[in-house]
Amino acid sequence: MMEKKIRVLLFKPGLDGHWRGIMTVSKALSEAGMESIFFGFKTVEGVVEAAIQEDVDVIGFSVHSGAHLEWAQELVRMLEEKGVRGDFLLLVGGVFPEEDHNELRRIGMDGVFGPGTVTGDIVAFIREKLGRVEVG
Amino acid sequence: MKRMADLEEIRRGYEDWRKAKENWAERRESFHTDAGIPVKDLYTPLDTEGIDYLEDIGFPGQPPYTRGVYPTMYRGRLWTIRMFSGHGTPEETNQRWKMLYEEGETGFSAAVDSLTFAGVDPDQEVHGAAHEVGKEGVPLYSIRGVEAMVENLPIDRMSVALVVEPLTSAAITSMYFNVAKKRGLRKEQLAGTTQNDILTMTIGYIPWGSLKPADLLKLACDLIEYCTAMGEAPRWNPINFTTYNYREGGIDAVQEIGMGLANAVAHIDELLRRGWKIDDFVHRLAFHLSAHRDFFEEIAKYRAARKLWYRLMKERYRPENPDAYRFRFHVQTAGCSLTAQQPMVNIVRTAYQALEAVLGGCQSLHTNSFDEAICLPTEDAVRLAVRTQEVLQEETGVANVIDPMAGSYYVESLTRELEERIWEYFQQIEEMGGVVEALNTGWLFGEMSKAFNKRRRDQESGDEKVIGVNCYVLEGEEPTPPFRTNPRAADIERERLQDLRRERDNQKVGKLLDQLRKVCEARENVLPVVSELTAAGATLGEITSVYREVWGIWQLPFVA
Repeated sequence: MMEKKIRVLLFKPGLDGHWRGIMTVSKALSEAGMESIFFGFKTVEGVVEAAIQEDVDVIGFSVHSGAHLEWAQELVRMLEEKGVRGDFLLLVGGVFPEEDHNELRRIGMDGVFGPGTVTGDIVAFIREKLGRVEVG
Repeated sequence: MKRMADLEEIRRGYEDWRKAKENWAERRESFHTDAGIPVKDLYTPLDTEGIDYLEDIGFPGQPPYTRGVYPTMYRGRLWTIRMFSGHGTPEETNQRWKMLYEEGETGFSAAVDSLTFAGVDPDQEVHGAAHEVGKEGVPLYSIRGVEAMVENLPIDRMSVALVVEPLTSAAITSMYFNVAKKRGLRKEQLAGTTQNDILTMTIGYIPWGSLKPADLLKLACDLIEYCTAMGEAPRWNPINFTTYNYREGGIDAVQEIGMGLANAVAHIDELLRRGWKIDDFVHRLAFHLSAHRDFFEEIAKYRAARKLWYRLMKERYRPENPDAYRFRFHVQTAGCSLTAQQPMVNIVRTAYQALEAVLGGCQSLHTNSFDEAICLPTEDAVRLAVRTQEVLQEETGVANVIDPMAGSYYVESLTRELEERIWEYFQQIEEMGGVVEALNTGWLFGEMSKAFNKRRRDQESGDEKVIGVNCYVLEGEEPTPPFRTNPRAADIERERLQDLRRERDNQKVGKLLDQLRKVCEARENVLPVVSELTAAGATLGEITSVYREVWGIWQLPFVA
């Protein structure tokens, strides 16, 4: 059965300029047949609006600034404000301590990916949670 | 006298040896360096054929400087232990610096937070900036921040590196000079470095709201012009071409140095275009290189880089000052080689990389702490990183002799090979119009993204081994207790700015900002007015807002 491609929106919140990680993930998701849109820097509000407009399945962001908890909270707050909290699978990646993983999940992140993540695991996670495999 | 074998005899011997081992299997089909240079099983005098000792290797402190830029190297003076450090607030950073000083650090280096890097104040409503105050480094938003950072530190006797890029280099450097002035020092006395690297801001670490490459180049050259050509701070290194930051993106040793040389040429040519003579400034240009995974290739890289800089100067610019031919560099061990898994292994990685830098003749060195793939380093971790350098200095004997790798058939051969490949890569950038053009077209970033995507594939396929990640994995590891930055940092810094805005002469600041606008429009050197601004208490965000307003923000060519 043909299904529509999984659409993923990726962005960097804030000012931090460590781009390598998220661009690598973006490329890997594209290679896996997903439609990956990398926004570069974007405000959380802008991202939520774009996610609604573009009808994406997944929102992911990358933090190397140590402000991962703050950004996760802000994203969830904004989704709630717009009344679309349950509409997207939420992913966060980057450099942060393992002991924060549970806190990130508690805040509302579905997938938490620290340093050393294999991109295949992110692909598998998205497919499993969305319950579908895209056909390229 | 004993008769020495000639090359023909060695060649025959080598062939015989190869035949004799024909039936011995090797563990891989082929071997190559990190940069993809094929590695033979054995190097002999045949591989250094044509390398002339006097012309190609020479003596330390003499052309072509392959063996080192100074005649005595570490026998005269050990390299500077310079730890890149900063967190929370300027006061906390000051405490950390004092601790490092007591532990034997001999130079300081300020790691700034993402706001300082991007030139944003915490009370500007930009992109939720306040979340990131003090998290990645020290917040330096005004002269008061810089003053608190260096309080009671012997800045007249120790050099300080300000790791900020062209967007904020004039502001932060002038804050530092103005603090020194308040302490009764003249800026002529100050030794130190501003990183001031355009490629860091455009392909390495690309902060929010970066300026266009040509405007960044202008700002970078303004600082070189002011400090060196105009003689305002003659002992200051007004730029440090930070090839380390591009290397961290995944490129190889050839690309690292090739991009570095092309970057330097862009600045030199811009200053010549402004009417300065090469001898007015070129002796103060410095570099900051990576120490990466491939041990021998990195050592050969440092040797090749020195030689190439000499060649560039001699063939193209011909300065009279002999110092201009010396390729001086700081080294940072490769952060991207560290893992969050089994972090103690990072101590071992860092020690080998530090040894590369020392065998390669660096002038100063930062060693990463073992927890840096997780968070900013704890005190214990950073102390151990300092000790790693002290073991090299005090216990190993490696600093007792100059360039001990010279004469190694392998290292000499690799030095020559790298030299050729780097020069070719550098020429390729030159032919497309130099780094500014290569940035505008997105070519340089394309090189970066090709490299980091390849590394990802190589690591995931296991072609590039990473211990703890794709081999020798340990299940059920205990998480490493992380270092946490001050959660009140944003409030503290906002208060610091509020006090400053209340106490300063706002009218004067306003007038000076108008003046800066005119200077930017006329594309004159920003340093004189920025110096006045920071002395009068203008904030970083106020200054960079003028740049952004006049010149506009760069639309990155690689983000669709």
